[in-house]
Amino acid sequence: MVKPKRNIQETSEEFNRITVERTASEDSVRAMLEEIKSFDGVIGYILRNTNSAAIDLGDPSKIIDYATLSSSAFEACDQLSELFDLGEVKNIIVEGKDTKTLHATIGENHVSVFMEKNADAKKILERIQMP
Amino acid sequence: MEGDVYSFALRNTLNAITDACPDIRSIFMFKENGEIISGEGTRREVAARTVEALNDIMEKAQALGGVQTITFEGTQGTMNVSWMNDSYLVTVVPEEADSKYISTLTNALVPTVLTLLEKISPALGREAPEEPENEEPPVRPAIEPLEETPEESVTTSEESNVPEASAETVVPEPEASQFIVENVGGLFASSDTVRVDNETISQWAEMYEYKKIEEATVETFGGKSARCKLKPMKDSKYEGKGIIQIPEKIQQSLEVKKGELVRVKPVVE
Repeated sequence: MVKPKRNIQETSEEFNRITVERTASEDSVRAMLEEIKSFDGVIGYILRNTNSAAIDLGDPSKIIDYATLSSSAFEACDQLSELFDLGEVKNIIVEGKDTKTLHATIGENHVSVFMEKNADAKKILERIQMP
Repeated sequence: MEGDVYSFALRNTLNAITDACPDIRSIFMFKENGEIISGEGTRREVAARTVEALNDIMEKAQALGGVQTITFEGTQGTMNVSWMNDSYLVTVVPEEADSKYISTLTNALVPTVLTLLEKISPALGREAPEEPENEEPPVRPAIEPLEETPEESVTTSEESNVPEASAETVVPEPEASQFIVENVGGLFASSDTVRVDNETISQWAEMYEYKKIEEATVETFGGKSARCKLKPMKDSKYEGKGIIQIPEKIQQSLEVKKGELVRVKPVVE
């Protein structure tokens, strides 16, 4: 059976729908991160996907350090998951002596939240995992 | 590191944790210089690849003030990396495991063992904080030489009570070091002679003003002790590894066996 060819108009409509969905998803994640930013002890966040990146961190001098840490965390999780059969990594928490970070993937978005040591990471995680 | 007393003790600790928590899929430790101590259930190459994968995060996490813990939570398991003393402990557990119990156990046990090992590190032949050159070697409240009966070169005793050090003693009081028991091989092995590595004997000789050290007191943690003839090891593979070769007869009288820890002190006369 010959597969019916989709016309240009159908393809264009589909592209628009995907773009709108993606934008909506990204917008909703960003809105959620703005909400999280108001939580006690939250320093800021980094939101990345294949098309764009948004960074909202209080201290501009930390942007590069935090962005590279965020990338390293997401890069390591694939390798470690494969080594130890962890399945799909839901989240990563890196706790330092001064601050800590939470990294999670929401759809196509990589999210990193930076917070003070005493901030409630569990509460942030619950908010991120909330549908 | 894998071969010394330090890693031996840590490896046993990791194995004991795995025995207590069979849920643990993998457990190992590593230091910042890349040294790895793995438990029985973890292949060394897997541990090495993990360290490699974590290396970048560790480096970048300097922005957070250095890593204290890292947790990777997956749909099928969780990996936890914790900074303990000067090492990182890595544990991997399945999703359904009681991670709170495992965390409590590891956080209590591993730092305790690490602290203990650091305290006894000079005895284990590891790097210890340098002491002032003019200071006397530390005299530990350990074992004293036992009275030797003339007819026996090897004696055993249930007692480990220590007589007061003589005020006339010129050289520092002999210091006990810990060693791992190893069997003595060879047909012509003397049944009343224990063997430690050349380096240890040289260190003792240097410490005790180059007096000839021909005997040593071996004491078990069960309180048994024996004074035996002492000779350097013939097998260089044990050099610097904190091993003492003890003949079977002495092992029996001390009630120790291969792989166990004993304290050894040179007899300086």
